Amino acid sequence: MEQDAQLVQQCLQGDASAWEELVRRHTRRIFNICYRFTGNGTEAEDLSQDVFLRVYRTLASYRSAHGGFATWVTSVTRNLLIDHYRRTKRDRVTDSLDDRMPAVENKESSARRPDELALLGELSGQVQTALTKLSPDLREAVILRDLQQLEYGEIQRVLSVPEGTVKSRINRGRIELARILQQMGVRPS
Amino acid sequence: MNWTCEQTEARLSDYLDGVLTQTELLAFKVHVPGCERCAPLVASVSELVRGLQSMEQLETPPRLVYSILDKTLGPRESVTGWRGVLAWVRGVASVRLAYGALSVAATLIIFVTASGFNWRHPKLADLRPATIYRNADRTVHLAYGRSAKFVNDLRVVNEIQSRVREENDLRANPESTVPDSSPQKQPGSSDGSKPTTPRQQNRANDLVRHMEVLAAELPLFCGTLGGR
Repeated sequence: MEQDAQLVQQCLQGDASAWEELVRRHTRRIFNICYRFTGNGTEAEDLSQDVFLRVYRTLASYRSAHGGFATWVTSVTRNLLIDHYRRTKRDRVTDSLDDRMPAVENKESSARRPDELALLGELSGQVQTALTKLSPDLREAVILRDLQQLEYGEIQRVLSVPEGTVKSRINRGRIELARILQQMGVRPS
Repeated sequence: MNWTCEQTEARLSDYLDGVLTQTELLAFKVHVPGCERCAPLVASVSELVRGLQSMEQLETPPRLVYSILDKTLGPRESVTGWRGVLAWVRGVASVRLAYGALSVAATLIIFVTASGFNWRHPKLADLRPATIYRNADRTVHLAYGRSAKFVNDLRVVNEIQSRVREENDLRANPESTVPDSSPQKQPGSSDGSKPTTPRQQNRANDLVRHMEVLAAELPLFCGTLGGR
C-alpha cells in the first residue's frame, strides 16, 4: 500500500515508469472484477481501459489518508461498472430488472467465445453464468467479498454504503447464487 | 434460545464468518441438522463460498496493459533497427538470461568445432547439414578409435609393468627359484619349489621386445619405465 502511494506521488511528478508500474500491479485485479461483473471478455477489457483512464485523469484527487490506492481504484471500477450497467439497461428497453436479467445473461453466456470458455474452465464458467443472473447490487458485493476477498470495511468504502447493508447484500447474494446454481444443476465444489 | 428458518437465512454469513455468539451457535446447530429447509441451504451456500474463494484469478489478456498505457500515456515511440533490438534486449535483460545465453553459445561453439568447422578459414559450405553430419560422424569415429587405442596402450603398459615386477621379484629372491638341496629330498621327487622354466625365459625375452615396442609408441611411459 505504501509502495502504491509512493508510485502515485512519482506519477504526479511526471514519472511515466511509475504509472506503468501501477498499471501492471492492478490490471489483473481490475480486469477480473470487470469480467466477473459483465461476464464478457471484450466488455471487461474496454471497461478496464476506461477505469485506468479515469484513474489517470483524477490521480491528483487521490488521498492516501482515505484508504489504500487499491480500494480507491476498486471504487472507481465499481462506479464505472454501475454506469455501464445503467447504460446497457437503457439499451435493452425492458420493464422489470427481475424479468430481464436471466434472459439477457443467458444470451450472453450462450454467446461466450471459445477462448473465454477456455479462460474460465467449465465450473468457473457455470459460476460466471450464475453470477451474471444476480442483481448488480448483490453481484458486486459477492464479487468483492468472495472473489476479490476484500474485508467488510474495504467493501463499505468501495460501495459507500453502511456495513450492515454490505453484510446483508453479501448474505443475500450468496443464498441467491446458490439457488441459481442449484437450478442449473451445478455443485460449486 | 429458539432458532427459526428466517434466522438461518439472515445470519448465514455470520455463521460462515464465525461471528455467531456461543448461544446463537448452539441454537443454530440444534435447529439446522434436523430442518429440511435449512440443512440443504447451509450446505449449498457453504460449498459455494468455499468454491468461490478457491477460484483462481483469470489471466489478464496480454495486450491489455499496453492498450491502457497507450490510452493514458499516448502511443509509445516505435524504434526500429539496432535501436529496436537494443530496446528489446534491455527489456528482457537479466542475469539468468545472460547465463543462459552464454551456455547456449558455448554449447554451439563446442558442437560446431566438433563438427569439424574450421574457425580460421570459415566456409559457408561447412555449415551445410550434410557436411556437419559427415564431419561429426568422422570426428566421433576418430575419437572412438583414439580412445580404444589409448585403452589398449594402457593395458599393454599395465601388463609390462606387472611382468617387470615379477621379473624383479625373481631376481631379488633367486633362492625361491632355485631348489634348495634338501637332506630329505629324494632323487626324482619334488620339494614344491619352482625352478626357472624355459617358458619363464621366453617371457623375459618377450618383455624386452615389449619394452622396445613401448618405447617406440609411447615415449611418455618409456621414461617412467626406463627409470626402473
